[in-house]
Amino acid sequence: MATKLKEVDAVMVGMGWTGAIMARELTKAGLTVVGLERGVDRTPGEDFTLPGVRDELRYVQRLELMQDNSTDTITFRNAPAETALPIRRFGAFLPGEGVGGSGIHWGGLHWRFLPTDFRIRSALAERYGKQAIPDDMTIQDWPVSYEELETHYDRFDKLCGVSGKAGNLRGKIVDGGNPFEGPRSDEYPNQPIKSSTPGLMFGEAARGLGYHPFPIPISISSAPYTNVEGLPLGSCEYCGFCNRTACEANAKASSITTVMPALRADPKFELRARSFVTRLIYDKAAKKVQGVVYTDLRTGEEYEQPAGVVVLSAFVFGNTQMLLLSGIGEPYDHATGKGIVGKNYAYQFEAGATAWFENREFNVFMDSPGMSVCIDDFNGENFDHGGLGFFGGGYFTCSNASGVIGGRPLPHGSPRWGAGWKQATAKWYNSAARFNTQGSVYSHRDNYLDLDPTYRDALGRPLVRLTYNGTENDHKMSRYVVSKLEGIIKAMNPTHYETHLRPRNFTVVPYQSTHNTGGTIMGADPKSSVVNRYLQSWDAHNLFVQGASVFPQQHGYNPTGTVGALAYWSAKAITTQYLKNPGPLVHA
Amino acid sequence: MHCRFLWAGLLVLSLATPAAAADQAHGKQLYQACAACHGAEGKGGSLGPNLAGVVGRKAGSLDDFRYSNAMKRSDLVWDDGNLRDYVTNPQAKIKGNRMPFSGVANPGDADDIVAYLKTLK
Repeated sequence: MATKLKEVDAVMVGMGWTGAIMARELTKAGLTVVGLERGVDRTPGEDFTLPGVRDELRYVQRLELMQDNSTDTITFRNAPAETALPIRRFGAFLPGEGVGGSGIHWGGLHWRFLPTDFRIRSALAERYGKQAIPDDMTIQDWPVSYEELETHYDRFDKLCGVSGKAGNLRGKIVDGGNPFEGPRSDEYPNQPIKSSTPGLMFGEAARGLGYHPFPIPISISSAPYTNVEGLPLGSCEYCGFCNRTACEANAKASSITTVMPALRADPKFELRARSFVTRLIYDKAAKKVQGVVYTDLRTGEEYEQPAGVVVLSAFVFGNTQMLLLSGIGEPYDHATGKGIVGKNYAYQFEAGATAWFENREFNVFMDSPGMSVCIDDFNGENFDHGGLGFFGGGYFTCSNASGVIGGRPLPHGSPRWGAGWKQATAKWYNSAARFNTQGSVYSHRDNYLDLDPTYRDALGRPLVRLTYNGTENDHKMSRYVVSKLEGIIKAMNPTHYETHLRPRNFTVVPYQSTHNTGGTIMGADPKSSVVNRYLQSWDAHNLFVQGASVFPQQHGYNPTGTVGALAYWSAKAITTQYLKNPGPLVHA
Repeated sequence: MHCRFLWAGLLVLSLATPAAAADQAHGKQLYQACAACHGAEGKGGSLGPNLAGVVGRKAGSLDDFRYSNAMKRSDLVWDDGNLRDYVTNPQAKIKGNRMPFSGVANPGDADDIVAYLKTLK
């Protein structure tokens, strides 16, 4: 029997980026907020200082900041006809766990989607005709436009102290930035991070071919910066320990550096770590959620926390699972195409290349993901897909082939061990460049999430089952963008280069991208979506679902910039509209 | 020879420069690079110890900050000279300390930062 606690105004289920942003905005509006997080609490001062934070074995190989698969995982299969098996150690993607979530170990690549991305089905229909979109490509327009989100994108930029160079400032194309981006109301808060040598070589080659290179936008501060919460960020030290670990210099933005210090000081906010929310208490007749049930993982005791507003702010899988387990919304039925919860799971279709430049020294031990130079000429609707046989695209990047110990790629045919391997490593370690294409995944009716019939988590709940494979469209897209990337690499005149296409079937190893999206998608009506344009559930008006699980499809960019912008957009709707008049913000 | 005299003269000049000539306002600007860890006005932050009253304090002596062994064993009492050396090249001054800062390049800047640190109470 769960112990019933005193009601609070709002409860967050998950304390990563969106939980922290929502909690901050709601406490500012006067609400009492409880943040529930199943993982541990971490602070920069206690957990992420030198020398411990530069432990590649601990963080990069042994994945200390990631979700604990022994407590909860997902099952996976490539196709509906197969039997799914549990992922016992994450590989292809690495959901984070603990206060800060995946936003602690991210690389910080901070993008906005294109204005046309937000109306992709309409844009494709206008340009290529309705018939050109395959029936099984279940993409849909977002119920919110770039123009509506712009001010929230800007706010999130200024929370994170993003470093970059604007390419479109209030409609004016600016030299040196991304000319394809939507109009920005303001320049980036910080100047770009210094570009790597291969990045600069890539930029020069790309420009020579008529493309438009620019430094990658990144949530790593290039100079000391005070953010919109009045919190200080340090400047990047180019130490190379970014992905899979935390920042020793307070330069890479995460919620634990940019929001949590303000929340921790606010008496209206209470953080409860090691608190695993198992279900929502749903009143179907009233179309409301009454609160949440959670287990304190330290004691095993169960609590019921009633709340006026419930925010689902977990990872994509957790958000979807919570709705399925709580009976909120109609589960997606793959056989009939009916139902919506779990529909339109999408991923990131990355492919790339490595090149080696004999006798060049790139100093690869100094690194930051922000040292990449990129082009956006082959993303979304930035290029004509007429006659190509696919839709979508992605941006291209080039930088050092980093990874302080782990990253030492060798040309094909080099010895794999022994003295020969050592010689080859010494020869090529410092002259290798890495290239990537950040490919979109346009939703397909066969890619979805539901509950596994067999496997359960440590608390006895059915696991989420992921059914996913790369589609014909996405493979064609990837082959095309990699062929364009290859043209630029050739122009850089490397000694050797190799392209890496994705294998036909998706596998859960090796690492590919943590950009999982969909499952609780947003849309214009309850038939085509789980949440409305304000991320409010159609089936429970006091339930708001945050994060990339609301993306109707995944575009050719990293998701976090849009995740943060949507959180501010949703928070504004709650504080300025919903609290005054609780009820549906969009009428079905 | 001529050159060497000039260097010697400069050295004497710089040693003779009183701390008061250091530019506190400039030091305050430079301190922005420190603030991410040591907090605004040295009040302590998420990663670094409180710096209010650091001049005259024994190095590594605050109870609420987890110092490196190197800092705890340094047996220093912070003054103008050793703070300037530390800010100029932290690892040369106290080998093995865990402050992730490579030092200031311009000696005048170190003096200015120390001048600013002295104003923090």
